[in-house]
Amino acid sequence: MFIGATAALLVAMALTLIRAFAGPTLFDRVLAANSFGTKTVLLIGVLGFLTDRPEFLDIALLYALVNFIGTIAVLKFFRYRNLGLSNTEAADREEID
Amino acid sequence: MNHHLVLRVVSKLLIPFILLFALYVQFHGDYGPGGGFQAGVLFASAFILYALIYGVDNAREVLPPKALRFLVPVGLIIYALTGFASIVMGGNYLDYDVLAHDPQHGQHLGILVIEFGVGTTVAAVMVTIFYAYAGRTRDVDDEDW
Repeated sequence: MFIGATAALLVAMALTLIRAFAGPTLFDRVLAANSFGTKTVLLIGVLGFLTDRPEFLDIALLYALVNFIGTIAVLKFFRYRNLGLSNTEAADREEID
Repeated sequence: MNHHLVLRVVSKLLIPFILLFALYVQFHGDYGPGGGFQAGVLFASAFILYALIYGVDNAREVLPPKALRFLVPVGLIIYALTGFASIVMGGNYLDYDVLAHDPQHGQHLGILVIEFGVGTTVAAVMVTIFYAYAGRTRDVDDEDW
């Protein structure tokens, strides 16, 4: 059962990769990258049970957190072209746009 | 990023748990997956998330670069002093067996202290690198792309 789940996840990951490379807009690519990360979390979890090492769930949890932060960083960079803007500076940038 | 309400609330909720998980990875690393480097990166990622949402200037007030400049060598010194402590107590450099009466307890203690040093240094260096990248970028115009 775990082997089947792993295979299905790998297929899904391949599909998200295709979307990430082919995606016409930036946001398609970001969404594909994010969902690729989510699939990776699931894959790590399933692999942990497949190889009888359920402590892999710790790594999966970690990957979920870092994936979240990475997506926010990419989105902020492409929205404001700067990673370190504060609230007020970002609001100013919004008005210019 | 004042109007991104969802982002701000979710990040505020998530940051303490990221810090807690980093401490778990740090101090449970000898039984499960983890260790000093991973815990340091995770601990730093909590501050990086804060800096992304609230700006690098606010993050600099939470964790001043002066403190980081102090923390980077402190981790290294913890590592080195553990090695010298085992020399003083009659073993080789970083020979944990002599750190406690029971060699097994000595190993446990030595690895825990060493990983704490590694975690401190890695967390401080990661946040320093982020400050250096995010704090000093000049504004990029659309024409530059």
